[in-house]
Amino acid sequence: MKISLNWIKDFVDLDSKMEPQKLADLVTTRTAEIEGVEDLAGQFDNMVVGKIKVIKPHPDADKLQVTETEVGGGKTLQIVCGASNIYEGMYAPVALSGAMVKWHGEGDPVELKPTKVRSVLSEGMLCAGEEIGLESKEHGIYDLKGLDVKEGMPLSKVFLRDDTVFEVDNKSLTHRPDLWGHYGMAREIAAIIGKPLKKLNLDVEFPSKGESPDIEIRDYDLCPRYCGVIIKNIKIEDSPQWLKDRLVAVGYRPVSNIVDVTNYVMAELGQPLHAFDKNFIKKGIVVRRAKKDETITTLDDQKRKLDTDMLVIADHEKPVAIAGVMGGENSEINDGTTEIIIESANFNPQNVRTTSARLGLRTEAVQRFEKSLDPALAETALKRTCELILKLCPDARIAGPIADVKKIKITKPKIELSVKKVSSKIGVPISQKKCAGILTGLEFEVAKKSDDILEVTVPTFRATKDVDIEDDLVEEIARMYGYENIPAEVPDLPIKVPRRNKQRTLKHKARMILAGMGLSEVYTYTFYGEDIMSNALPAASKLQDKHLQIENPLSNDQTHLRVSLVPNLLKAISENLRFMDNLQIFEVGRTFLETGTYFPTEDKWICGSVVFPQKAKIEAFYEAKAICMQFLNKFLKREVELLNPKDEPPYVHPSRTARVVVGDEEIGRIFEVHPVVLKNYDIDAKAAMFELNFTKLSAFEEPTIKYKPIPKFPGLDIDISVLVDRKKTVKEVEKAILRANEKLIRKIKLFDIYQGENIEQDKKALAFRVLLQAEDRTLTDEEMAKVQKKIFANLKNLGGVVRGT
Amino acid sequence: MEKQINELKDACLSAVKQAKNVHELQEIEVKYLGRKGELTIILRGVKDLPDDQKPVIGKLGNIVKTELENAVANQKTKLQAKELEESLKDEDFDITAPGPEIRVGHIHPLSQTQYEVEKIFNSMGFMIMDGPEAESEYYNFEGLNIPSWHPARDMQDTFFIKNKRDKKHGKMVLRTHTSPVQVRTMEKYGAPLRIIVPGQVFRNEATDASHDAAFDQIEGFMIDKDISLSHLKGVLKEFLTRLFGKEVVVRFRPGYFPFVEPGLEVDFSCLICEGKGCRVCKKTGWVEFMGAGMIHENVLKAGGIDSKKWQGWAFGFGLTRLVMMRHGIDDIRHLRSGDLRFINQF
Repeated sequence: MKISLNWIKDFVDLDSKMEPQKLADLVTTRTAEIEGVEDLAGQFDNMVVGKIKVIKPHPDADKLQVTETEVGGGKTLQIVCGASNIYEGMYAPVALSGAMVKWHGEGDPVELKPTKVRSVLSEGMLCAGEEIGLESKEHGIYDLKGLDVKEGMPLSKVFLRDDTVFEVDNKSLTHRPDLWGHYGMAREIAAIIGKPLKKLNLDVEFPSKGESPDIEIRDYDLCPRYCGVIIKNIKIEDSPQWLKDRLVAVGYRPVSNIVDVTNYVMAELGQPLHAFDKNFIKKGIVVRRAKKDETITTLDDQKRKLDTDMLVIADHEKPVAIAGVMGGENSEINDGTTEIIIESANFNPQNVRTTSARLGLRTEAVQRFEKSLDPALAETALKRTCELILKLCPDARIAGPIADVKKIKITKPKIELSVKKVSSKIGVPISQKKCAGILTGLEFEVAKKSDDILEVTVPTFRATKDVDIEDDLVEEIARMYGYENIPAEVPDLPIKVPRRNKQRTLKHKARMILAGMGLSEVYTYTFYGEDIMSNALPAASKLQDKHLQIENPLSNDQTHLRVSLVPNLLKAISENLRFMDNLQIFEVGRTFLETGTYFPTEDKWICGSVVFPQKAKIEAFYEAKAICMQFLNKFLKREVELLNPKDEPPYVHPSRTARVVVGDEEIGRIFEVHPVVLKNYDIDAKAAMFELNFTKLSAFEEPTIKYKPIPKFPGLDIDISVLVDRKKTVKEVEKAILRANEKLIRKIKLFDIYQGENIEQDKKALAFRVLLQAEDRTLTDEEMAKVQKKIFANLKNLGGVVRGT
Repeated sequence: MEKQINELKDACLSAVKQAKNVHELQEIEVKYLGRKGELTIILRGVKDLPDDQKPVIGKLGNIVKTELENAVANQKTKLQAKELEESLKDEDFDITAPGPEIRVGHIHPLSQTQYEVEKIFNSMGFMIMDGPEAESEYYNFEGLNIPSWHPARDMQDTFFIKNKRDKKHGKMVLRTHTSPVQVRTMEKYGAPLRIIVPGQVFRNEATDASHDAAFDQIEGFMIDKDISLSHLKGVLKEFLTRLFGKEVVVRFRPGYFPFVEPGLEVDFSCLICEGKGCRVCKKTGWVEFMGAGMIHENVLKAGGIDSKKWQGWAFGFGLTRLVMMRHGIDDIRHLRSGDLRFINQF
């Protein structure tokens, strides 16, 4: 919203020495954010009227044209232009070197300099309205046609401006219906700078008898108050320049006197108004819900389909406006209008908001009604409108008294305010006098009840939504006291060691361990679409039914909440493989499983992956296993077992998969990705992964490491090579070796697996290095030989043939 | 004879001293001490001397021999060391050639900064809390004083979950902020409280360089006796100063959030221009950073805390925004792209 300082000066005397920027800063820290301060007088510096003499195509760009534009004093500039609406003989604003323009109407103004546009020199700029702060009539370069202009005329002569405008951040007015007009803003400014507010003095009289609009409200919930008045003998004309200037300064496009006055009063008081041509209103006004499938063509020339939740203003035949949103074309003010009905009403904010959202139609009126306007304002605004219309149309006459149909209680709630509480919440002692002073300045009524308690009466314009509890008053005092005057202090509280969040601590630890092993952490989305899901979890998969689905996705890649980190991680792998041929990544994130109860099972998982080129002589599974086991060893410090797959998700390779088990708790799996799944993701590489349920992992108690004495006596290595059946696992063979002497065998390390040439097809050769070591003595050769013999025997029992013996 | 030996000794010592390298030294050694060396020849002649001179000259000869041998040996050590040093210096070694590639992983920038933030607040006595990302309408909205008609509950901002409805909880949403954990924590632990909640939140809006459907926030709140806005300023200033490693000034502006009253927008002094005004702070000298305020009595009530006895503040800021600001990341979508060309920079 834009606020004109000239307009503010109608209601409060501003110190002429106070810089507008300084005032803006004060408003920002006390009331609402002022995003920009615009000095309208200076905005047209170095801008003149130009006349386009010649237009030629640009030699190097289809969309650009090169003009010769006369800028007065016999001077012609070569200007490159990208807009398509220019024509030879057109008068348009030209920004000369040094002018401040907003490129395409966006961002901060930039100083214009002569520049080459695709190798053609451009000595100035033909401007669109939004680029130089003018309301744009149409797309493209601003056409000055119809205005009394001549080339070379300074633009500031064409558009007289002498005002400073504040750009208010609308978001910071969300809860302040009273600030949607200049009068409300002036009240705040007056309180901020400590000057009196000049009250609105209405000089208008209404006949006690005569013609008033016939108004019927059929739904008081949606329209608690509707005021209307008839004015006759209107003459539709352009508004006087002073009114136009104000409207333009705050961003409204002047149309004609009556429409301009309704906009003017809205900008001044914050109450949206509407003027109907009385001749088009059959009998009287009916405020009712729309009928099913009823339609109306709104002032923006759009035919709109309504529904029964929407409120319309209708006559006895047809809807003439969508209540609080926009008027209808069928009763629009036109050049021939002579009699009008002015509407000033109060509508249900939620209903206006939903209607607006459903129609996709946000207007100035919607922005105000949805904030919960003061119902008392409807009458004031109507009077002000009449006053201005009579001023602009001296022959006009008010036909009768204001028709005011309402079911409202205009309440002024009373709140007890403890001054002690104020000081305690703000954190600085504030006196009762100071509290009272601040509140009175904002038009609250204050009565002292005790040394601590003030009884505060809330004015109607603050009572609709904004102020209803003690803390609301604390806010009024805090902001007017000045947030910058509140010192920064750390609370003086007893030391307390915060309760530990074990999962959090462990999550960071897990990241460090994995990164230390060369894996990089990625974040992927918590959701995916049907395609990514089906790539990893084909339709037959039971897991598909366990998905939570998003009811209102914006795009089809966010329809399902993930049940595993795998699908999105595979997508990330696939994308990364465009730039590298091997990678190691992990993610820590949540999964969501439908379990039939309201809240799903929301578990945290760690998923890691290693990817190598097809040609690499690497078994991806063992790489993933090594990382996973090393990680678990560091992270858990517990015995971890790998078991054969049982009932695994479809993205795992059916035989290259192991379940990870700790005690009797299954915590995840290590696997190579199913080749079909890899293909679905266009991954032409070896990929193995591990996924671990972090929620389960982090629930284990962390064992304290118990020191084992460092061996004092040397150990002996024996190398054993054995030929076994292919189906025998390394684990089985290791167990057989260990059984030979569990006390002396300290370590068994597999250092070679061979199958292929020179050995039988159904066999494999395993080579182990076995460390024998005693705690209390150096082992003798005999002892070693004895163990070795036992090992050989065990291996033979297993069907193995010990080689080299 | 005696004189001859002494002259020989002096000549030899001086030659040894002047030897420039091991090779020269070896020649000297041969010349004097070798099998046909000058001293060897003299010593060999001792047996032909008169008996009274034999022991004298013999003794002198041996002393001199030992002395010369030592001198040669010393000089040899010196020269060898010198030669080694020179040969090392001479080596053509290219230190610019790369070493073998060591695989090092990278921790995501969001995790890194989150960890830092957690550590700072932890050290001020704040506990780190967590809550579900699939959250109920009750905790996400009603419990936070956001009634059903509130603009923040518009369909276009919130992801709803299909087929989830409950009498108390309403529909299920992907939490739109970390604030639901406020009420959850109050219910669980009661007052007093010092909590921060880092976590992922979701907004149902079109994505572009500065908007994503998922991003990270950090919520913080403190409830105790007499907790004030002044304490909020103090704690935030302390936090930001520690985080950025230099003095930061905090500014409050009025702001509106349904779950706080008074409500505030919090800015901090731009660290790039130090408040003078630059591109990053849009020439204002301040960087908009978070929403905050005193916890609304209705929120305390929802958490089962008596607002007559206890009071406190809450704040929430975008961890994602902080990380982007810190590292100059210009497109939010990099953060969840999984692109290692991005991740491996951190």
